[in-house]
Amino acid sequence: MHGRLKVRTTEEERERKKKEQTLKVKAYRAAMAKIQEKRRLQQLDDEMLVLTSQILLRNPDVSTLWNIRRECVEQKSLNIDDVDQRQAIYDTELNFSEQCLLVNPKSYNGWHHRCWTLEHSPTANWEREVMLCSKYLKMDERNFHTWDYRRYVVEKARTSKQNELDFCTEKIKANFSNYSSWHHRSLLLPQLYPYEGDAQPKRAMNEEKLKEELEMVLTAAFTDPNDSSAWFYQRWLLGYSRQELDVCAFRCDNNRAVLSFTNPIILTEEDVVITDSKGNIKKKITNWKSINGAKSDTTWFCSLNGDKVLEHINDQYLLELHITDINVKQITLKTYKQSVYFFKPPNQSFTFTENVLNELQTQLESCESLLEYEPDSKWTLLTSALLMRAIGSQKYHDKSLKYLGKLEKVDILRENYYRDMASKWILEKYLLDWTSSEDFPGKLDLRNEEHLNAIFYPQYLCIADIVLVSEKLNHYSDKKQLQGFIAFKL
Amino acid sequence: MDFTSFAKPSNVDGNNENNSTDLHFWKHVEYIENHGKDQDDYEYCMTEFLRMSGIYWGVTALDIMNQLDRLDRTSIIDFIRRCQCPVTGGFAPCEGHDPHILYTLSAIQILCIYDALNEIDCEAVVRYVSGLQQFDGSFFGDKWGEVDTRFSFCAVAILTLLGRMEGTINVDRAIKFVMSCCNQTDGGFGSKPGAESHAGLIYCCVGFLSLTQSLHLLDVDKLGWWLCERQLTSGGLNGRPEKLPDVCYSWWVLSSLTIMGRLHWISAEKLKQFILTCQDSETGGFADRTGNMPDIFHTLFGIGALSILGFEGLKAINPTLCMPQYVIDRLGIKPQILSKP
Repeated sequence: MHGRLKVRTTEEERERKKKEQTLKVKAYRAAMAKIQEKRRLQQLDDEMLVLTSQILLRNPDVSTLWNIRRECVEQKSLNIDDVDQRQAIYDTELNFSEQCLLVNPKSYNGWHHRCWTLEHSPTANWEREVMLCSKYLKMDERNFHTWDYRRYVVEKARTSKQNELDFCTEKIKANFSNYSSWHHRSLLLPQLYPYEGDAQPKRAMNEEKLKEELEMVLTAAFTDPNDSSAWFYQRWLLGYSRQELDVCAFRCDNNRAVLSFTNPIILTEEDVVITDSKGNIKKKITNWKSINGAKSDTTWFCSLNGDKVLEHINDQYLLELHITDINVKQITLKTYKQSVYFFKPPNQSFTFTENVLNELQTQLESCESLLEYEPDSKWTLLTSALLMRAIGSQKYHDKSLKYLGKLEKVDILRENYYRDMASKWILEKYLLDWTSSEDFPGKLDLRNEEHLNAIFYPQYLCIADIVLVSEKLNHYSDKKQLQGFIAFKL
Repeated sequence: MDFTSFAKPSNVDGNNENNSTDLHFWKHVEYIENHGKDQDDYEYCMTEFLRMSGIYWGVTALDIMNQLDRLDRTSIIDFIRRCQCPVTGGFAPCEGHDPHILYTLSAIQILCIYDALNEIDCEAVVRYVSGLQQFDGSFFGDKWGEVDTRFSFCAVAILTLLGRMEGTINVDRAIKFVMSCCNQTDGGFGSKPGAESHAGLIYCCVGFLSLTQSLHLLDVDKLGWWLCERQLTSGGLNGRPEKLPDVCYSWWVLSSLTIMGRLHWISAEKLKQFILTCQDSETGGFADRTGNMPDIFHTLFGIGALSILGFEGLKAINPTLCMPQYVIDRLGIKPQILSKP
């Protein structure tokens, strides 16, 4: 029951309504009883269609009645060879479901019945269905049933993707505040304008089109800065997916090994081998255990029982990997004390071509001008911060964090989201800087980062012997992954 | 529904000082207890096509409120037994209607709460569910071929509750299908591949991944952001961008965020206030929005959300299965849940 306002009525009105409803209940029960009796007797005839339609027009959610109609259709078309006559049976259903959908355009049953009818009818006019969708989307441009149905019939009608994109552009131009259209668009562009470069993370579309889309979406967003639809699309264009699955850290001595990944994976009987520079196998590491005792995890460890894996620590060692979904097959290891390691700091920013970068710079300037007039505009603040990250996360590090700080105040409902995002950005920079510090990789000292409120990349810390955290992050010391490499002594 | 008479004054934003922090606990108990006592009630009669789910909503809400003994266990179990289809093994919403996976899940959930799975033919249920899986891993809702990620959730939820996930369906393919419905733009899920993200379906897919121990496939921070953006200034949550808030989304969004360890990304206090303004202080029960008609569906999701938010006097609820946690513990089920970073 959605969107039904509770109204106060007079006693008289209530009585009248009650009487009316009692009659409706009686009529419904009588019709249902008759339908069920006829079904028992397999009388799947025209009368059955009339009886079911009376109820379905008022209440299309009674699924069983749709099932009965389909039984009628199957029964009636059984002994008819003439194509036109058979088609007429199906056309009745198409007309009827259209009538129902006009009354209740959000009926799962109504839309499904239409799909079923078209799939089973001798001839189906898919173009007509595409037109029907356009008509229904005019009535409600956010009805996801209509959009889903549209994607289904467009495929059947073999409408070109370019036509669909044009339809979409038209819809968006008519009303920017239409998340459904933006979504539809996001499905078409990667197919029409695929990205063919090799930059990581992968772009959704080629850069030329990306630039055009960025221009279009910003115009839309500025038309009504409080409408979220275009801003969501903008963030997708800037790219904010999690990192692609990759090895991010490894360390091993004669007693233990630890291996971690950008995202959680299920590591079972995969091949991980340490070789010398000539390719001689020094140790095949199996029996990986998740650090949290989970099925999937980012960090895995293994006890090596003091095997002489690394005989001459100054030799060159390599890590060979044969893990499904991981592209890297061989990694050159570095030496630290009596161990070898590998480390690749997190990087979530794109590296754009000059052309796109210029556009991003222009957009950032536009956002900054808007902020002069509306300094508390949430979406402008957020987008500015994201643009800065996309242009140069190092260059704009402090300023982008300042914007997140501001967002914590102007968008208080989500203050913890911004706080977590700030923690993420701080740690990203910290891990990058760590690689060139003299403590690397033995010691990681996070005590001076006062805005670090959560640790989003625990898997990167597993190669350190010791991780020092401030008082407020102290609860992390209970978490195994932050106890540092030394804790893996089993 | 006619709007001829005057509207009930509604407690909209900033005007909810009246009773806004009180839960009308006993009113809600009464509301649920009386639901269906008048078999000729118009609303009750017109919703018989979802009766089984209606009972599940009432039973669960009352159990969370520790008042389950107010309903008649025996007659409910008898009703469920009568609804199992002797041919397919699936459950109908009520007698005279056809079986469907939606009502099969509701029936199994009620039986688990009553610790009464031995009352029905569980093997037949397993056969029904596994028979609905398609080659691409998706599930039909019934033999008429509608495909939807809701049905994927129902299938694994039923099999998990029956302890029969192993060797009955192709779990890898089922996961593959659900992931093919994941949208790159927002990390959310729709009802089928390419469908727009929607909080209700996100709950189904996140719940599905929780039950199949596959949450590592989620882009948690991307989806978490989209979900926390569902909270509006009223404190209520909507199901898609630029839509109105609704108490049932308190459940779909809140449980998804909880499973993903990102509950702290919204304001729990503001949401609690919103949910409480959707109570009907006269009749009991919760409506979708402040000032609207209450119903049993929104009553469960209002109570369930308050339980997740740690409201005093309510039993803990499991975010994946929307059932009392003690029932899930009794069954020895451990849906995957991610910890807060």
